[in-house]
Amino acid sequence: MCEKPPLLALAVLGVLGVGAPRCGAIQAPSPNTDSLIHIAVERRLARELGLRVGDTVRLGPTLDSVSTPAVVAAVYEPRRDPSGIIRPDFHVRLHLPDLSRLLGAQDRVDRFGIGIQPGADPRRGAEKLNQVAFGFRAFESDEIASKSSQTFLVVSRFHRAIALITVVASAIFLLCIMLLKVEERRNDVAVMRFVGVRRRVVFLAIVIEAALIALLGSAAGVAMALAAGAATNAYYRRLFDTQLIFSQVTPRLLIFGVVLSLVLGLGAGAVAAWRLVRTPPLALWGRAG
Amino acid sequence: MIPLSLRALARRPLRAALAIGGVAVASAMLLDMVMLSGGIERSFEQMLLGRGYQIRLSPKGTLPFDTEASVSRVSGLIERLERDPEIVGVAPVLGGSLYARSADSLLTVFGYGIDPAAQFLYQVEAGRDLGAEDTLGILLSRASARAIQAGPGDTIRIVGRLDPQIGAAAVERSVVVRGLVRWLYDYQDQRSVGVVLPLMQRLLGPLATDRASLIVLKVRADSAVPAVAARLRVEFPSVEVNSVAQLVVHFRERLVYFRQLSYILGAISLVVTVLLVATLLTITVSERLGEIATLRAIGVRRSRIIRQMLGEGLALTGSGAVLGVLLGLATARYLDAILKSFPGLPAALSFFVVQPRAIATAAVILVLTGIVAGIYPAWLASKAPIAATLRAEAP
Repeated sequence: MCEKPPLLALAVLGVLGVGAPRCGAIQAPSPNTDSLIHIAVERRLARELGLRVGDTVRLGPTLDSVSTPAVVAAVYEPRRDPSGIIRPDFHVRLHLPDLSRLLGAQDRVDRFGIGIQPGADPRRGAEKLNQVAFGFRAFESDEIASKSSQTFLVVSRFHRAIALITVVASAIFLLCIMLLKVEERRNDVAVMRFVGVRRRVVFLAIVIEAALIALLGSAAGVAMALAAGAATNAYYRRLFDTQLIFSQVTPRLLIFGVVLSLVLGLGAGAVAAWRLVRTPPLALWGRAG
Repeated sequence: MIPLSLRALARRPLRAALAIGGVAVASAMLLDMVMLSGGIERSFEQMLLGRGYQIRLSPKGTLPFDTEASVSRVSGLIERLERDPEIVGVAPVLGGSLYARSADSLLTVFGYGIDPAAQFLYQVEAGRDLGAEDTLGILLSRASARAIQAGPGDTIRIVGRLDPQIGAAAVERSVVVRGLVRWLYDYQDQRSVGVVLPLMQRLLGPLATDRASLIVLKVRADSAVPAVAARLRVEFPSVEVNSVAQLVVHFRERLVYFRQLSYILGAISLVVTVLLVATLLTITVSERLGEIATLRAIGVRRSRIIRQMLGEGLALTGSGAVLGVLLGLATARYLDAILKSFPGLPAALSFFVVQPRAIATAAVILVLTGIVAGIYPAWLASKAPIAATLRAEAP
């Protein structure tokens, strides 16, 4: 093994990579049985530095003190976390005493979790701890989850707003196309009216035709959505090197899309048909005075 | 040509109104996406360059205030930087969590340790600024002032670190509120306070001695920034040196999703506009074949017919675009308000920046779209067989 110059620094740790062609399989960390620090390295970082299980790296709290040797005991795939997309930091995991010693922050932690008795109310537990707390604050897991998901709630609201604009544009487009389509049928409708077909029948025929077009269009839309979703996932998973799902076409969304286009199609067809059946047959035939 | 095109469209008012409505929504979306595609980067750049500091030095491997890491032995580093003839301003900042006493409780606030003589982080809104060595003064954001219930002239107690084991403050100081300030990089309602750098280092304890989270530099000439940044990178390999332009690139990489989304939605808007206008004009041409054949029969040239159809396409797109700009500006404000609620994002940052250039770009794209949409119907109209059409249209 030959040592390489510093390749990159982490948020807290400077890491000096040691050459190896490829990362190993994901394994559980080895117990810390000797004097060397044992670390677990995130897969992306292992790939970036060319690390594999058993390699030795050197760690330090700052770039000018990267001197503590550590053995890569495991390469791990981190839990899927959307926040990693915005902040693609590299991570390593250490045993707590090792990290405390390395940072010179003995007997200190950033945070710790507390398990409570089954049936106990976490909110009351947090409140009780906060009443006597000094130097720390207790949060419920739900509260932390809610705060950490704020970013995605914002993105979700943005997507909904964009979707609303898209629906408005689609509705106008559909109405316009249906109107044009029905206008094309002026002569057919005139003939139907001349031979005695009632207005109601003509109206229904046009509306049914509009519904069929909307249904076929929405079926094509579903196919396009599925293809676009698959392409989106493939592209962004590759771009961000993650297994996160970026686009999900759920049955609820599909039903919403089909029903919406059906309603819009029916509405547009009804408006166009109503205009047509109100026009005298001679005018439709182009012979009105 | 355009008045004639407008009159032709007015013959079918509902159809024209719907088409203009569709184009308006599509062009509003296009304008929004043009604004989104580069707006946040420009907003970020303007924010960073607001006080004229063009280079940022942060701990190696990090972006400014991205982590709690800090640069060590900062006084020596500042001395060396100040000796550089091309650097005319050096401003160090140390950030960290502090606590302010409010009645019986402690409020967590974010503390900035600054050099008031070379600060780029705030604007004084009430009271006065800190003095250069004012270790007894503090600046509050309005949100902090509200939470602590203090204003200029009041004395408050600020705690640097807490020791949970003995249940007491490890470092605590009485300071006088000198002024209320607006922190330029704070998110909405962030509780922030500012003290001079040496006091902040003492409050944060031994781990912060002679450290800074960030050092910003003002270079004599803007044109020299890339060269100075490159030189500093070699001279100080243990710190991350970024010019504003490089920070914008990092920022762009992090927000690549929004840029790509804007391109995709912008492209879809264009396709919708082309489809809508082209369909409408094609059907209009089919309906007006007789009229077109008559015009051709009385000697109107083919090029005139083509210009007429392209004019109708432009008139539709243009009318829709005018409405679309107004609609786009309104929706941009709404969408910006949504995205500005991102947690931890500076309140001064905007995703949708209204710039004449963005509007001009959208307008040019729409004009081209209108022309493209009119090409096929225009070709159809110009190719109409005169004699056959006149025979078919004869009563």
